[in-house]
Amino acid sequence: MLLNLLTGTLALAYAQQLDTTLTAARGQRLDVVASSGELTVRAWDRNAVRVESSASGRDRIEVSTSATAVSIRTHGRHDSDSEIQLRISVPAWMAMSLSGVNTSMKLQGVRAPITAETVEGDVDVTGGEGLISLRSVQGSVKLRGARGRISVNSVNEDVEVANSAGDVMAQTVNGEITLRVVDAASVDASTVNGDIWYSGPIRSGGRYAFSTHNGDIGLTVAEGTSASVAVSTFSGEFESEFPVPLRGTRKGKGFSFTLGSGSAQVTLESFQGTIELVRPGSENDPARRKPDQED
Amino acid sequence: MTTDRWTNRLSEYLDGDLSENEQTALELHLQTCADCTSVLADLRRVVHRARSLRELAPPHDLWPAIANRIGATRTQANEPIDLTFRRKIRRRWAFTLPQLAAAGIALMMMSGGAVWLLRTGDTRATTPVPAIGVSPSESPAVTVAMRPNASESYAAAVADLERVLAEGRGRLDSTTVRVIEQNLAAIDRAIAEAQRALESDSANLYLNSHLAETMRRKLDLLRRAAALVPVS
Repeated sequence: MLLNLLTGTLALAYAQQLDTTLTAARGQRLDVVASSGELTVRAWDRNAVRVESSASGRDRIEVSTSATAVSIRTHGRHDSDSEIQLRISVPAWMAMSLSGVNTSMKLQGVRAPITAETVEGDVDVTGGEGLISLRSVQGSVKLRGARGRISVNSVNEDVEVANSAGDVMAQTVNGEITLRVVDAASVDASTVNGDIWYSGPIRSGGRYAFSTHNGDIGLTVAEGTSASVAVSTFSGEFESEFPVPLRGTRKGKGFSFTLGSGSAQVTLESFQGTIELVRPGSENDPARRKPDQED
Repeated sequence: MTTDRWTNRLSEYLDGDLSENEQTALELHLQTCADCTSVLADLRRVVHRARSLRELAPPHDLWPAIANRIGATRTQANEPIDLTFRRKIRRRWAFTLPQLAAAGIALMMMSGGAVWLLRTGDTRATTPVPAIGVSPSESPAVTVAMRPNASESYAAAVADLERVLAEGRGRLDSTTVRVIEQNLAAIDRAIAEAQRALESDSANLYLNSHLAETMRRKLDLLRRAAALVPVS
């Protein structure tokens, strides 16, 4: 292992197995561009960044450090066989920006802002605090145990946020959105082809918007919830496990009702799917539909 | 949907501009009027979406082209915009009922304005969110006036992005291209279904809002896909 204690700029290029550790100072962030392969980032209890890789001889990895960042760039061969395995250990406080193309990403234990974006590959994150933005085009996006302002986005796969707190924006086009045990005052979830499931408290004064074109919406509503609920559908259905005080209907099968004093604003829109309200813990509670097996 | 004396005052309510008595009266009215409650929910949703857009400001000299594309007008066309000042003012959302459906389109077209940025190669910048219908005393110098040819602007924005994507198609992974095309097709089907639904109920606020949102999603996906094209 190469232990580097320099604080100045360092640039290294490797063409084979890599295992190097660099000191990390508060204020530095991790910046990774990994063109392909698997990227794993985990937090450890040292103020240092360890970079391990199993790149082949024709792959190249560059590591550099400055006062503000530890930067890592991988340069794989331009064929589908290039699979760089990159494992990085970081202090939990280190914010990071990760970018890839044919890259899957797995992060664990970081307590800092995270930006992760890939084209072909899954993004799987446990942790994160502050601004958290996870995006994939062809892969799924999963986030657990996060706190902060959360944005999760896919195009062709599912999006899931579990056991997290903070404002949530979740989007996909062709996939399901599951927000499980989420404590948020602001939620905006939308997909075109897919269901949306939300379980978590509906906070007084909060805003919750769920929209799908082809798909169902399932929402847990605890007893004592105070919310103004607007339901809109064109050819879908509405079901509720408990009586709702309907005040009237609109064209297009839209209607609204108030629970309690109507403090929170809840908007439920499905063009042609079923919109369902359930009680926490019931058989149809989204939190029970998909037990969190990963945690 | 029917309108009553309160319908056109909902945006004032949302802005906190009603007197205490009016506010109380409106809240009582909301308890019995499903239409007003629904319109209010739609208004809040549009505002929520607007607030959720990123507020990164592009360099000043980008604005004229963006403004031209999205149909925004400046009160003083050649005067630089004080973006610092704009961030300080409180956003106001003074919609009238007819503007509500258009508001979704306005947001959509703001997204479309980023096409211009994309073509310059700066994919990090996003368009600012001009305040809609702000009062003159608080004007941040930019207001959005919907053009009657918004659909033409949308089509042009889509065409721009599709051209960027077509030109870069050969530099993208074939699987990625296929996935993007499949998802664009799914969005197009949703747009067509919403349009067919509107043919039988053109005044339906939900359908108008849903159509606008789905069209915006197409722009978003096209923009994202075009940004994937490696710079040659």
